[in-house]
Amino acid sequence: MIDFLSLFLSHGLLLLAAWRLLWRGDLDDDKGPLDTRKQPKKWDATDA
Amino acid sequence: MRDLFFVAFLGAMLLLGMRRPFLMVLGYVYVDIVSPQHLSYYLLNSVPISLIFFLGAVIGWLMFDRKQVLTFGPRQGAMLLLLIYCYFSTENADFPLEATEKWNWVWKVLVFAIFLPLTITTRLRIEALVTTMILSASCIIIAAGIKTAASGGGYGVLNLMSDSNTGLYESSTLACVAVSLIPFILYLRRNSTIFPPDWRVSLFCGALCFACLLIPVGTEARTGLICIAALGVMMLRAAKRPFLYIFAAAFLGLASLPFLPESFTKRMDTMNEVQADESASTRLAVWRWTIDYVGIHPMGGGFDSYRGNSFRYEAKTSSKFDPNAPAAHEPGSTIVIVDQGRAFHSAYFEMLGEQGWPGLGIWLFIHVSGLLRMEILLRRYRNRAPEDGHWIAGLATALQQANIIYLIGAAFIGVAFLSFAYMLIAMQIALDAYARRFERERTRKPFFSAKVVPA
Repeated sequence: MIDFLSLFLSHGLLLLAAWRLLWRGDLDDDKGPLDTRKQPKKWDATDA
Repeated sequence: MRDLFFVAFLGAMLLLGMRRPFLMVLGYVYVDIVSPQHLSYYLLNSVPISLIFFLGAVIGWLMFDRKQVLTFGPRQGAMLLLLIYCYFSTENADFPLEATEKWNWVWKVLVFAIFLPLTITTRLRIEALVTTMILSASCIIIAAGIKTAASGGGYGVLNLMSDSNTGLYESSTLACVAVSLIPFILYLRRNSTIFPPDWRVSLFCGALCFACLLIPVGTEARTGLICIAALGVMMLRAAKRPFLYIFAAAFLGLASLPFLPESFTKRMDTMNEVQADESASTRLAVWRWTIDYVGIHPMGGGFDSYRGNSFRYEAKTSSKFDPNAPAAHEPGSTIVIVDQGRAFHSAYFEMLGEQGWPGLGIWLFIHVSGLLRMEILLRRYRNRAPEDGHWIAGLATALQQANIIYLIGAAFIGVAFLSFAYMLIAMQIALDAYARRFERERTRKPFFSAKVVPA
């Protein structure tokens, strides 16, 4: 029971960390965006 | 159930790694620290998961990573030299079969340590590596901490989820590593961007630090207690109010005494009677043998050269009478102990006996130069503004403290090739290279700077 609690907690957090890293543009380049999901897409840009 | 859990987790990591190849590097770090093969019953035992993640990490790096910031530092060169030296010492080992067995995992540790700094090129990657190392080790530490709090543990009794006595599943090694993780946990609590600081992060970090402190109690590893004392002294340096810190530490230490199990205090008490403790006396005898051995074989005897030792020494039995553990001899009497093939029980003597003076020299260079580089970074960045690289000082402090704790613990455990320690070295190299690039960017003047025309 204790082992499972420890396994679920640590592995759950590991997966959450990996999931968050997935969307971080600054993982590969320090100047990259903090969250690639929040980047405006080309077709979202409104014409002036 | 446990097998399915690991298969699902590793499958998820592989899938995520296909999207962002750096996650394969983190996957390898996880596999190396946790060794899920040791926790699995049958599904993972025949699958080379280390190899899969290692190949994924290397291929991902070769094909998709930026190579503009590629650096190969002197310490990576030293590790390469150590790798080559170990190869030749294995070829000429006193015990070729046993030496080859150890070489088969040592070269992987060294190759990954040389490769790792090449992949850690951004601040987030450094943070991701620290987070992965902490969370991977926490898998064992949380379970051991709860068990200790619930039952008190005991020497060789505490169940660390696996029967394996290698890596972090060896109690003294786990105690040393758990204490060395505390500076990183405290660093991440303030500086993490993956898990931004809030009350949940503080709660988890606080509980994990407590669990780390419980490991030496649960395992009754004397090395762990020495490591805690060393950490306490080092943290005094960073304390803003040193006198308050000393008072609080002394108060907490005294207040915790009644809660410590009797077996723990008894075991720690044996540190005062080195001559009466067979474990300590045997270590001293092995170390004396090692010094004599390298006098004849200055280049070392290759891996597992300790198998050739045999010695005879006199020891005193404990002067204290214990009614619960009646001894075969009178308390305080002298007995003769004859032993052979005893392990080094010290990373320093392990390096000396196995790789000789050159091997020990390279190993010390790798660690001591890392400590000095971290000291330089710490002094350079500690007074900088948060947006001007202050975090580098915080991480350099944590890396320095962790490395010192490892070096202190390594005096009593044969962990010269512990992969966790080489990951620390790799992170030091990466942080050093990152700080150099950071400084270059900071001081670089734009080529086409705007001219200021006086009015």
